[in-house]
Amino acid sequence: MENGYLENAGLGAFIETLRLFGELHGPTLSDQGVASFAAIATPAALRLDYRRTLIPPKKYLLPFREELLSFCDGGYRSAASLVPDIVLFGIHPCDLDGIAYLDAVFLGDPPDPGYAARRAGLTLIGVSCEPDDYCFCSKAPGSAPCDLFLSALEGGFLLAASTPKGEAIARSARQLLGKAPAPPQQPPSPRGIAPQDPQLHFSGNPLWERFTDSCLSCGACSVCCPTCFCFDMREYPQLLGGALRLREWDNCLFKTHGEVAGFNFRGTRVERLRYRFLHKYCGFSPLQGVVSCVGCGRCEAACPVHIDLRQLIEPAPDPMDGAPP
Amino acid sequence: MNRTLLDPHLPHAATLTGRRQLSVDTALFRVAPDPSAMEALAGLIPGQFVQLSVPGGGEVPISPADLPGPDGTLELCVRRVGHVTNLLHRAAPGDRLGLRGPFGTGFPVSEMAGSPVLLVAGGLGIAPLRSLLFHLLRHREEYGEITLMYGARQPDLMLFREELVALGSSGGLRLYLTVDFAPLEPAGQFSCTVGLLPDLLQGFRFDAARSYAAVCGPPPLYRCLAGELEAAGVAPERILFSLERRMRCGMGRCCHCAVGQKLCCTDGPVFRLSELKLIPEAL
Repeated sequence: MENGYLENAGLGAFIETLRLFGELHGPTLSDQGVASFAAIATPAALRLDYRRTLIPPKKYLLPFREELLSFCDGGYRSAASLVPDIVLFGIHPCDLDGIAYLDAVFLGDPPDPGYAARRAGLTLIGVSCEPDDYCFCSKAPGSAPCDLFLSALEGGFLLAASTPKGEAIARSARQLLGKAPAPPQQPPSPRGIAPQDPQLHFSGNPLWERFTDSCLSCGACSVCCPTCFCFDMREYPQLLGGALRLREWDNCLFKTHGEVAGFNFRGTRVERLRYRFLHKYCGFSPLQGVVSCVGCGRCEAACPVHIDLRQLIEPAPDPMDGAPP
Repeated sequence: MNRTLLDPHLPHAATLTGRRQLSVDTALFRVAPDPSAMEALAGLIPGQFVQLSVPGGGEVPISPADLPGPDGTLELCVRRVGHVTNLLHRAAPGDRLGLRGPFGTGFPVSEMAGSPVLLVAGGLGIAPLRSLLFHLLRHREEYGEITLMYGARQPDLMLFREELVALGSSGGLRLYLTVDFAPLEPAGQFSCTVGLLPDLLQGFRFDAARSYAAVCGPPPLYRCLAGELEAAGVAPERILFSLERRMRCGMGRCCHCAVGQKLCCTDGPVFRLSELKLIPEAL
């Protein structure tokens, strides 16, 4: 529901209000000039005009490396972790979709305890965005799953809370909120991707060969993907005895991903690219038929050789196009 | 906030209680789970797998070579082939291990009741099929003719040979052993033939239309046998392949073990040929 209108002038005070609900994080520009979600010390550090961060907000839910278990005194035990409450401000609808997809994966049966704890401590505040050439998100504005969504209008933001947490934030900022001056703009038509038939793309398309020839297996597309969550679990013995089992991001473009002792089920690049395609556009059981590409445009922007798997699913150009009548 | 949910990554404690060397690089490990794990493991179905933890090394997916004994002990047939299995082979009785599971589908043993069953094992593939074989023989009257074809590379790599020969001569099992090569000794000394499993299958007469076939072996074996079994007249729905993939989490999350859109750890590892036919690169 709509909870009021926040004028641009009130944004700084609103952001300070958010600190009541947890550690404040949002889009910033790092020293190296990389857009990234990080802790916000002052409202001036926020960069709400960002296009996309290099690493998506999945890092708040799935740390690159985390301790899962430790082994000592003859038994394994779960890692005890204290999870801070974090308010993540300024997330674009595509990244909110990405988090909703990760929720479906990690809060299913059985729920992942580490993910569930971090997710429970995370408050999501979305903000509308201006798409650029790499964007192709599928959601109509305002429909992205979050606690509170800010739709940018001329001169301010329209607030809409969709959870009790979001309502509580809007309530505590009510002295900053007024009545919306104008009705929100018409949402542009979604440009999403329909689930793909896995059979269609296993042979025939010459693009596979082109992609295979140029792909460097660097894995950037997977690292920067808001819905890539493959993980590996590795155990390391400790110098003073015992062992630690860590969970780390894995990457389906890496040769080791399909490796078992004595065999590799995805030893060739084309097999790995197909695996990625299947996971993104067709979905693995039980999320079969669910497209996990949210249209953030990161993979295409990050790919050093400009591979865009989406080209495989776009309809072939009509041979009559451009032909003389 | 503290983690209060039950941790699905946390293995049950277990202890290595014994080992029997089966070949130069393969041994049968007896693993006794702590009482807390026995309930979960008691429901194990032949063909399902467990994640075995070796402290300091990590986890490996292993399909037990038999269902848990009356005391809950599991028999795990493991080849020394990688980091974790090397550590396991160096472990001594009394060493602590971990167990998670069981995971996956297993063989449809109740659906198979009343039918003849042909088991085809190649190399280490005998381990999961031994568990199925023992289940079938323990419920001998519920099944039709039971046949085991087991191929190994050479005579000294044949696992469980004496045990299988004893079962074969007891009457409840038709047993065919074969080796790819028999370099020094005459094959007859080991009561096995020399040749590949598909060749063995070609000369085999059985009630194919009513039979189930359960296959486990190295990846190339499936490609050869899929055609042979179908040509013999076994329905693709009744051709059961136990596939190997890199199962890490066992819960359908880590996404290393997909076979097409299915996940080997939750939808498999036992698949029907009729499902796999639709999946390029599955076999």
